[in-house]
Amino acid sequence: MKRKVRTIDCACLNFTKQFFSLTVRQPAEVLFAVLALFFFDKMDCFAQSATDRENSSPKHVLMLFNEGKDVPGNIILEQAVRTEMQKNSTNRIEFLAEYLDASHFSDKEHFRLFEDYLGKKYAGQNLDLIMSFPSRDYRLAGELPNALFSDVPVVFIAVNEMDVPQAVGKFGVTGIVQRFDIRGTLGLIMRLQPDTRRVVVIGGVSDVDRATLGRIAEASQALEGIKFEFWTNRPVAELPEAVKSLPEGTVVLLSTVLNDVSGQTFYMAQLAQMLAPSASVPVYVLGGWALGDGALGGSVVDSEDLGARAGQLALRVLGGANPKTLPIEVATKGTPMVDWRALQRWRIKESRVPANGVIRYRPETLWDEHRNLILFSLAVFLAQAVTIGGLLRQRNRRRKAEAEILNQRTELAHVTRVSTMGQLTSALAHELNQPLGAILRNTEAAEILLQNEKPDLEEIRAILADIHKDDQRAGNVIERMRSLLKRRSLELKSFDLNELLAETITLAQSDATSRQVNLILQMPAVPPTVRGDRVHLQQVLLNLILNGMDAMADAAKFQRQLTVRAEMAKDGNVEIAVSDCGSGISPDKLKHLFEPFFTTKANGMGMGLAISQTIIEAHGGKIRGENNATRGAVFKFTLPADQK
Amino acid sequence: MNPPPESGTVFIVDDDESFLRSVSRLLRAAGYFVQAFDSAEKFLEQLAPEMSGCVLADLQMPGLNGLELQEALAKSANPLPVVFLSAQGDIPTTVQAMRRGAEDFLTKLSPKEKLLDAVRRALARGAQERSERVRLQKLRVRFDALTPREMEVLEHVVRGKMNKQIADDLGINERTVKLHRTNLTRTLQVQSVAELTRLVEKAGLFKHGDTK
Repeated sequence: MKRKVRTIDCACLNFTKQFFSLTVRQPAEVLFAVLALFFFDKMDCFAQSATDRENSSPKHVLMLFNEGKDVPGNIILEQAVRTEMQKNSTNRIEFLAEYLDASHFSDKEHFRLFEDYLGKKYAGQNLDLIMSFPSRDYRLAGELPNALFSDVPVVFIAVNEMDVPQAVGKFGVTGIVQRFDIRGTLGLIMRLQPDTRRVVVIGGVSDVDRATLGRIAEASQALEGIKFEFWTNRPVAELPEAVKSLPEGTVVLLSTVLNDVSGQTFYMAQLAQMLAPSASVPVYVLGGWALGDGALGGSVVDSEDLGARAGQLALRVLGGANPKTLPIEVATKGTPMVDWRALQRWRIKESRVPANGVIRYRPETLWDEHRNLILFSLAVFLAQAVTIGGLLRQRNRRRKAEAEILNQRTELAHVTRVSTMGQLTSALAHELNQPLGAILRNTEAAEILLQNEKPDLEEIRAILADIHKDDQRAGNVIERMRSLLKRRSLELKSFDLNELLAETITLAQSDATSRQVNLILQMPAVPPTVRGDRVHLQQVLLNLILNGMDAMADAAKFQRQLTVRAEMAKDGNVEIAVSDCGSGISPDKLKHLFEPFFTTKANGMGMGLAISQTIIEAHGGKIRGENNATRGAVFKFTLPADQK
Repeated sequence: MNPPPESGTVFIVDDDESFLRSVSRLLRAAGYFVQAFDSAEKFLEQLAPEMSGCVLADLQMPGLNGLELQEALAKSANPLPVVFLSAQGDIPTTVQAMRRGAEDFLTKLSPKEKLLDAVRRALARGAQERSERVRLQKLRVRFDALTPREMEVLEHVVRGKMNKQIADDLGINERTVKLHRTNLTRTLQVQSVAELTRLVEKAGLFKHGDTK
């Protein structure tokens, strides 16, 4: 049990490492991934525990490796096998692994010790399957298991160019011999770099290495006009320097170097790591595991795919299939695979990679790398956008409403102006009839004068001058009326306040006369300049004046006095006060004065003061109403004086 | 074309300087004597009993307005006829003005013919009222010669009372009544009671006295 747990943990760790190094960079995602793995792992354990009860005997698989633990190709291969088998087995599988490490300990004595060790270690152990990963020879697939565990079926996986000895078959062994896809790799070289004229092949001197080189030489025959150089007589240690100055049109192809001339072992991944980064030309490889450290690519053996196939084969054998009936599979299929970073380095277009090719190490797009973060951000952004949209809509609505209110206020201002005009109609008709009457009388007089034999031309000239004047006077009255009646929004202009006051008093004068009200105007000696809308302010003034006159309707005639007084206040504002001598405003009504529809008049609309307040406040002023100390009420409003 | 100028002056009262000037011009051109005033107060100040003619007044004026001018004029010793000339008249004002004896109520935009016609009528009426007033005054001067007692007796006589009744009413002798009658017919130069009654009526005497 202890061992089982350790192994699974190790697998997990391995997988996690891989997952981490390949795809995950965000610490949060690592955490997530680990948690997920842990979770799945637990699930797996439970699942397995469940099957244990039905199928109480776990399967024991011993994996025998010819090389050490750190051969990159093997690590991937082993992991792929384990994953495949665990995934598809109904039984719990315990994996055991042993490493001969033939690269470092190649003598026969060592092999004997290893064999001895295995024999002692696994004596009495119930092994269900031996999986062998031979490299230099097939002893681990044939003789050794046959000698130690003769009744245990064997499945092997070999990646090399060596022929499987006939002898292996007789031990009841099956397996997969994966050949390097040399033709495919050469084809990929020509495809990615059509200008290639020279291929430098780096290989070793062991039997395995020679076999590989032989296959390469054989395949090179198909390519005419391209020179193949086989660098086998140099120690690998010299190679990094040698590949730095290779001329253009050359590529390097890494073969296997189980032993170089100096007797050292180099795995293809090691070679790639040593040579590719500093090489002056692209480096191609035959094994997928050698990619990632600078090599450009190759039609490589895909260890994961191979592991999966091997796993399936092993499961069939575990399931009871007789290895003898399963022929040894020799696979030559490679997968065109390139390192995206190397493509960039050598400025090779991605479009040159064959359609079935795999491009590795492409920096994950933001989407790949931060999918969740992006989705989350998008969701947040969307929510934000919706919120903002909502707020904007609200603001739009509010603006519309405000515009509508402004519109209605203008409308209302217009209506009250019209009603003010209504109140002023007789006064205005009077205003207009004065000049018109004068004109009429003058023309009639002129007609009569002209009937004389000697018309008094002097008088007629005076008449014409008067007619002209009165005509202008009538025009002015109409203009005043028109501007007062015009439907309009606020137009701010600087103007002389005294002039406006005088004009307004004139407008109200005839009404005041008919109501026998004495209108008094008190203006500052220096005419204040005010910035505002003349017509609207005139409306306010007229409104206050008419109100004041209304308030005095019941007052004794001698008391009917309305004073309009303008003066500069201390704060730089101009204060205009309209004071009447009526009966004043009762205290309970004072605070409601400016409320819409509040009126003390029988026929009042109650809008005059409300509108006046709106207008004054729109000018940045204030309006208030109070009772005079002596008699009547006074309405005061301020306007900011124009500082210019 | 010119209408025969009536005797008398047209007194124009209007606060609108321009209109005042224009209407003065028209009336002058039409052959009238014209005197212009820009306020009712100024006109009333200059009003004298011997002034004859009519008043052409605006209705709306600061200070005394047209109706108040009419009222003041009616109370004066020289109640000249008034024609109102208003820029804008309303019905209540018009009714009030006419009820108080205005000759006419025109707007400032009334045609010249209407205006001149109204002025002519007002002048005619003014002249007639003036001569009537003069005649009455002359008659009244004749009555002024009577003693208070003779006036008392006269009043009883024109009310158709017998001497005896008069003597009882006044608490005097019947013969004394006869003596007073003889004296007053002589002073008044009348021949009969009928003539005496007509004279009293013309002079407008005892109109408000109620029958005892």
